[in-house]
Amino acid sequence: MPAGPIERVLLTEEQIRLRVGEMAAQVTRDYLGLDLLLVTVLKGGLYFLADLTRALEIPTTIDFMAISSYRGGKGRSGAVRLIKDLEEDLSGRHVLLVEDIIDTGLTMSYLLRTLRARDPADLAICTLLDKTTRRIVDDLPIRYRGFEAPDAFLVGYGLDFREQYRTLPYIGVLQPDLIATPAPP
Amino acid sequence: MTDGQGAQFAHESESEFARILDFYGIRWEYEPRSFPLEYDGTGRTIESFSPDFYLPDFDLYLELTTLRQSLVTRKNRKLRRMRALYPHVRVKILYGRDVRSLFAKYDLQPASIR
Repeated sequence: MPAGPIERVLLTEEQIRLRVGEMAAQVTRDYLGLDLLLVTVLKGGLYFLADLTRALEIPTTIDFMAISSYRGGKGRSGAVRLIKDLEEDLSGRHVLLVEDIIDTGLTMSYLLRTLRARDPADLAICTLLDKTTRRIVDDLPIRYRGFEAPDAFLVGYGLDFREQYRTLPYIGVLQPDLIATPAPP
Repeated sequence: MTDGQGAQFAHESESEFARILDFYGIRWEYEPRSFPLEYDGTGRTIESFSPDFYLPDFDLYLELTTLRQSLVTRKNRKLRRMRALYPHVRVKILYGRDVRSLFAKYDLQPASIR
């Protein structure tokens, strides 16, 4: 149940479980007989990937990557970079990029550029949440989407606010006034 | 306000947005083109629209607005006019709420997004 910083529950644990099961069934059908590699970006995609892969009925390989985050302000933030690279070779393989949420598409654009350069046979996206209201990059190869996300700050099931609330079993809407509070130094 | 490319930004929010694009390796141009919307009897342009950003990789113009509602309404009217006159041009507008939400994602505080 929501408490304190969570304004309301958007998706219950049961709703997520059912939808992830449906998505897994679709992925199973589509990738039957293919060499499927599922890749996610730490840390947010971890929970979705874990549940999705356990519901699949085909053999798969999983791998993880992590990228640096943008830090605002007038100082130089540099460029996004891989903090943790994949261990698997992508060449000639069917790669499904598993994400918790796609918002502007800027992060995804970088990930696609990075992964396409490794010559996979196929590269597509499976996202649990699709927030299209602020989409900037709109030519993303999204093959599977769980839910359309509203224009709100969401937490839980991998989604965090300042590294908190990731482990909530549901997806909730964060209290808007909390977002405006300055981050601790 | 200027950035590494020497652009003169009208607002800090535009400067911050440009830095986000730079971070993700997205090429951008600042106000590269003005679209005439209305002409007077002599053919002189009396109203035009200059979107804040052009992203050549996506062939997309972007307008950021953090303005008060009355000015947003005017901007919306311009945007509708532009879409009617230039249907082949892809343009999107990010409203104040969108910009604030986008910056909240990066934990940028209001002082840096005014």
